[in-house]
Amino acid sequence: MILPPFTLHEPKTVDEAVALKTKFGKDADFVAGGTDLLCNYKYEINAKPHVISLGTVTELKSFDTTRIGAGALLDDVMTDSGMRRDLPVIPAAIGVISSHLLRQTGTVGGNLMVDTRCFWFNQSKFWRDSISGCLKSEGDACRVVWGAKECVAVYSGDLAPVLITLGASVTIAGPKGRRVVPLGEFYEHDGIKRHVLGEGELLVEIRIPTEARTWKASYRKLRTRESFDFPVLGVAVAAKVDGDLLLDAHVNLGAVHTTPLSRDGAISQFIGKRIDEATASEIGEAVADGLVIHNNTAMTPAYRRKMVAVFTKRCFLDVTGKRAVAETASR
Amino acid sequence: MSQPPKEVIKFEVNGRTVEVAVRPYDVLLDVLRNELDLIGTKRGCDQGSCGCCAIHMDGRPVLSCLTLAKWAAGKKITTIEGLANPEPHPLQTAFETCGATQCGFCTPGFIMSAKALLDRNAEPDEATIKEHISGNVCRCTGYLQIVEAVQKASEELLEKDRPHDASVVERNRQTHPAGR
Repeated sequence: MILPPFTLHEPKTVDEAVALKTKFGKDADFVAGGTDLLCNYKYEINAKPHVISLGTVTELKSFDTTRIGAGALLDDVMTDSGMRRDLPVIPAAIGVISSHLLRQTGTVGGNLMVDTRCFWFNQSKFWRDSISGCLKSEGDACRVVWGAKECVAVYSGDLAPVLITLGASVTIAGPKGRRVVPLGEFYEHDGIKRHVLGEGELLVEIRIPTEARTWKASYRKLRTRESFDFPVLGVAVAAKVDGDLLLDAHVNLGAVHTTPLSRDGAISQFIGKRIDEATASEIGEAVADGLVIHNNTAMTPAYRRKMVAVFTKRCFLDVTGKRAVAETASR
Repeated sequence: MSQPPKEVIKFEVNGRTVEVAVRPYDVLLDVLRNELDLIGTKRGCDQGSCGCCAIHMDGRPVLSCLTLAKWAAGKKITTIEGLANPEPHPLQTAFETCGATQCGFCTPGFIMSAKALLDRNAEPDEATIKEHISGNVCRCTGYLQIVEAVQKASEELLEKDRPHDASVVERNRQTHPAGR
């Protein structure tokens, strides 16, 4: 497949990158590792005439356990000894992103910004033309929910649910300066707009509160193959525990909605309780209860909803140090 | 839109400095295969899902089908052709003797992934080997012989740095009978 023609810009600083994006607006895309964007371009999905490469912006590449530059390579963060010691859930979650080879060029920011996915959308141009496209590509109607006005493509990153449960926020650079937004408020319920980034704005870094180190956290991912695949479900749990006593907890689901989906409301009744196998099952059922999952990825909505309960249960057993028998795999 | 102009980039490939005129939307795989005749690097899925096009960029294994050619400017690239020196690399020999290659299409990618692993970790365990080749797909061999070949190459590379020990050589011979 040949990439559609574009002009490549290689800014050296964040300010130059923002200026270029402001200049070209909707005619330009940022690219970091290119593992998501270039695949979509090869499928002629929303390709733009200008591409702004961030690989030359050195400011984006550095990271430590309190802040991760958006351009930090996934493999570098995953293998960092400080990160493994202080926030082991992040290397664990990165370890299940795509494959070893893609993590060599994929970035943390790129995983947060990964495009939403849907099997009516992530197809070749030829295939899409056969159904006259969809809301997110060349068409004017949603192929998943008839009559829908907003795109329901699925948020398919792995790191956002984890970082949201850890209370992370993101720094955004734009033409009017920088602003900080909680990651939980970064995503928008529209598979096309996807996030709150305005004109010319760029995701610069992820900030992780030091308090997150005192929380126990777990991430479990469902996918067809144990390598390469995007999640069809991701469950992230971060909890403050005293032994098996649940003092506080956050639950966030990936790949069931157009955004990472917080389910904190569903588990509030369990705060202050002791977690055993039965309570963990109840939490799982409560988190899965009432979820609306559309039929637009590899596995059926009924199965994914069922697995929400199973994975949530496993995550709560992980964070309280009580893994269920025969459920010790990381997924 | 009118096509953006070509630009000359300079980089090192297998120890040789080359200058190539590339378009901004050319991927490195096309430049290696079409401009530099390095056809050992294969085009499989062309979307990062098979690992056939794996090469090393500044020592890091990357997928050349998803790497813009312009990103290679000033970098050191190693392809499968750059491993022999001039004898085959122990990985290449091990893939042959362990039967880790059948149709051979995926083999360059597997060897480049395995080489990156052995450069980082001279004595990887089986789980680490599997993790590091998890970005490569083989539709013929079933992976067992591939893991075995990486283990054998690891042992041989360690052997080169070690004082001669006949018992290790004998153990290798029994563990990896030729032609397996």
